[in-house]
Amino acid sequence: MTPAPLGLRDRAREVAELLARLLLMFITGLGVSLALGAVVLLLAGPAQAASREDGSVQQGTLLFRGADGGDPVAAPLLHTDVTLRVSGPIVRAKVVQRFRNPADDWREGTYVFPLPENAAVDRMRIQVADRVIEGEIQARAQAQATYEKAKAEGKATALVSQERPNIFTTRVANIGPRDEIRVEIEYQHTLDYAVAEGVGRYSLRFPMVVAPRYIPGKVIADEESGATTGTDVVPDAAAILPPMMLPDEAGPIINPVSLNVYLDAGVPIASVDSPFHRVRVDTLKPSVRRIRLSEGRTPANRDFVLNWTLAAGTAPSATLFVEPGKDRDHALLMLVPPAPSAVGKRLPREVVYIIDTSGSMEGESIVQAREALAMALARLDAEDRFNVIEFNSTASALYTSAQPASRANVDHAVRWVQRLRANGGTEMAGALALALDGGRNADRVRQIVFLTDGAVGNEAQLFGMIQQRLGDSRLFTVGIGSAPNSHFMRKAAQAGRGTFTYIGKIEEVRARMSELFTKLESPVVKGLTITWPSGARADASPDPLPDLYLGEPVVVAAAIDRTVGGEVRLSGDAGDIRWTSSLALGDANPGEGMGVLWARQKIDHWMDTLADGADEAVVRKQVLALALEFQLVSKFTSFVAVDKTPARSADARLQSGAVPGHFPAGWSPSGVVGELPQGATDARWHLLLGLMALAAFFLTRTPRVRQLSMKG
Amino acid sequence: MSTVCHNCSHHEFLGVECAWPAPTCRDVAAPRHQRIVAWSIKAIAAVSLLVALSQFGQAGYIHAKAWLAQTLISQAWQKTLAGASQVKPWPWADTWPVARLSVPARGVELYVLAGSQGRSLAFGPGHVFGTADPGALGNSVIGGHRDTHFAFLEWVQAGEAVEVEMPTGEVAVYRITDQRVVDKSDTGVLASPPDTHRLTLVTCYPFDALRAGGPLRYVVTAEQLGASETL
Repeated sequence: MTPAPLGLRDRAREVAELLARLLLMFITGLGVSLALGAVVLLLAGPAQAASREDGSVQQGTLLFRGADGGDPVAAPLLHTDVTLRVSGPIVRAKVVQRFRNPADDWREGTYVFPLPENAAVDRMRIQVADRVIEGEIQARAQAQATYEKAKAEGKATALVSQERPNIFTTRVANIGPRDEIRVEIEYQHTLDYAVAEGVGRYSLRFPMVVAPRYIPGKVIADEESGATTGTDVVPDAAAILPPMMLPDEAGPIINPVSLNVYLDAGVPIASVDSPFHRVRVDTLKPSVRRIRLSEGRTPANRDFVLNWTLAAGTAPSATLFVEPGKDRDHALLMLVPPAPSAVGKRLPREVVYIIDTSGSMEGESIVQAREALAMALARLDAEDRFNVIEFNSTASALYTSAQPASRANVDHAVRWVQRLRANGGTEMAGALALALDGGRNADRVRQIVFLTDGAVGNEAQLFGMIQQRLGDSRLFTVGIGSAPNSHFMRKAAQAGRGTFTYIGKIEEVRARMSELFTKLESPVVKGLTITWPSGARADASPDPLPDLYLGEPVVVAAAIDRTVGGEVRLSGDAGDIRWTSSLALGDANPGEGMGVLWARQKIDHWMDTLADGADEAVVRKQVLALALEFQLVSKFTSFVAVDKTPARSADARLQSGAVPGHFPAGWSPSGVVGELPQGATDARWHLLLGLMALAAFFLTRTPRVRQLSMKG
Repeated sequence: MSTVCHNCSHHEFLGVECAWPAPTCRDVAAPRHQRIVAWSIKAIAAVSLLVALSQFGQAGYIHAKAWLAQTLISQAWQKTLAGASQVKPWPWADTWPVARLSVPARGVELYVLAGSQGRSLAFGPGHVFGTADPGALGNSVIGGHRDTHFAFLEWVQAGEAVEVEMPTGEVAVYRITDQRVVDKSDTGVLASPPDTHRLTLVTCYPFDALRAGGPLRYVVTAEQLGASETL
């Protein structure tokens, strides 16, 4: 006899039972979810304690597409060869941009590229076939006109102009079919130098990529052509945003760079380190190295950095260069003051951390920033107070006012920071408004640590704001990522009377943040004054001298009348003692290009006064005079070179194109270019998984399986 | 039931096969492997039930949140209409209503929140930062979830009216002109040609996909009719 078959009634009962169970389950699920929903709505996310209460949220533009210059396809190909010659604290660089036309038509190329923010560009020449034509400095508009005229006449011509202190544009017209035009640009600047525990450390940075920047404000379009040129806040936005090849569309290296460094430190070198590129280092002498990129041609997608430390005990603490000039001599003085002794009782600190969580930070940068911030929070003492502000399109603070750095508060902050994600715009003004209260309070030291990539186009507006609202706070910028906007970082720190630290990769976070904190915790060298020999009629810059943090040198450039000798005297307060150092002008090293460095500093000084509200016409006049005298590229002057021999006949057409740049390494395209919002939830997926689990459950309830389970 | 036939150790009695199984024979020691099988089946049953519950719970939670939040936001919107700005629907919210969107033909009424990041989209459609304000000159882009708030987009047709109530109380009326599928990186959708009064609604595509995070987006474009009326 086989097992009795189930009756129809039993089957019906089984089905009914199943349906009832399903219904019950659904109701339970719904109930649970509603309850959960209510609970979470009521309890979740207490992190958002405060946000910007004043004013409305500004609206900005994520990215401009297709800056003027037009189609990248029509652009000539570009190779860049860089030679950097370091002598002591100064570097002289030659950048050769080779524009090659691969096609049979005539071409014009536009290339937007970065240079160090303190570079004094003082020479430009072009090479067409075997003819070399020296470039000439002209007022910006005039240079532009010269270029346009030569372009229309079919002559080979090039124009180099400055869009920002660290962003330049080269335009080259009338590159013949399958021909090449070389544009050589030379510049000079002083290196970053610091002394830590008796060891001197130099840092050289060659930026390779103009990172996309956030442009706040309302878009304005050119009235005639209708093309967007910028916004009411950043009128020249199109000029600082070159077309960009995203990693997946770039394919091979589009504008390769080769780089050679000849490093003569003057004193024995202990170690050389290139944190972001693989290099080959040849030791020529104890004090001389030759450094090359080991991969030869490298994509220009992240800044090149070279650090070297000097052998112990050889760190120069004072260097003076003098260059004889036509009318006046030019001097450059670099001096590291003695480490200040701690004074009296340590004042409690109030530290405000600002972290940039805008779209450009997406990828490696936000990871670095979170790490750095977590480290910084751990360094606080119990009597310190702190707050954390994050910003993207809006700014929000962790606490409405600074809280004591108790264990619980710090832990809470660290957890909050770990949850931060990067997306949206870069409305820095909101965050700065929250952090800078403009107040003065002698009972505390107020420090603001600002972690960002500085990818904004409205630098000038922000500098003005920092100056106005600083009060007795000090602003320390920490540059994050493979290509931070160091012009912004340095100037913001200068306006905020703090320092600039650069972190390029996650492995560096610890070392760099410790350095910064040593600075933050050490007393400052104040009241620096410099006295030149009588009769020198020195015109020095910067004036007055800034306060210095531990290990920082004071760098002064000056124009002086030729004097027989005498001493430069520098003094300041180090803790509670006053020290004085003096250097004899007669013992100065002969230097080259000191005049150019001085002129560049003076131009910088004049441009800075704009943020204070100086009259632009006055500044323009001063800058123009300096730039024309010293043959410098500035906001108001450009280099232009024209080949005298016409090459292109009037009937041959000229194709124009903008040379595209790489996307900065480690950046996430979706964070910057933006993505359309994600419009789905996983609700259905959960429903499917739920159904599958339910099916599995019922499978275990079938009579067959049930019978097996009965045997237990 | 204790017939002889239901002797637990035997399947037959006197050579005759019994009706099987015997319902009360649980406690008789079964072979070891059978016990293991039995236990694992029970464990599987329990785990599946738990998983089913939690998954249904999560799915329900997503919908519950979407639905509950809109109710709270409606109150914040009333305050906004009364003149307040950036009214948070709940005290710790990091977003606020910026417009009310309705499609009369479909009986849809939604509050649009500021920002289109995942956090705010769970509560309502989000206005993409950096694009024009809803109802204002330019291209205003609003994103929403295809399976909650913006599920109706699957059915809308060209020519249907979309109304946007602005914080001022004014209502802008748009007509749907175009529906298309684009890749998520196609930011041309966000562009704002001069002199446009455009509303762009973005959601995920395809509508019946199980999981979130696909690369395609469904874009519905509507152009303003020009007529504005005050409530």
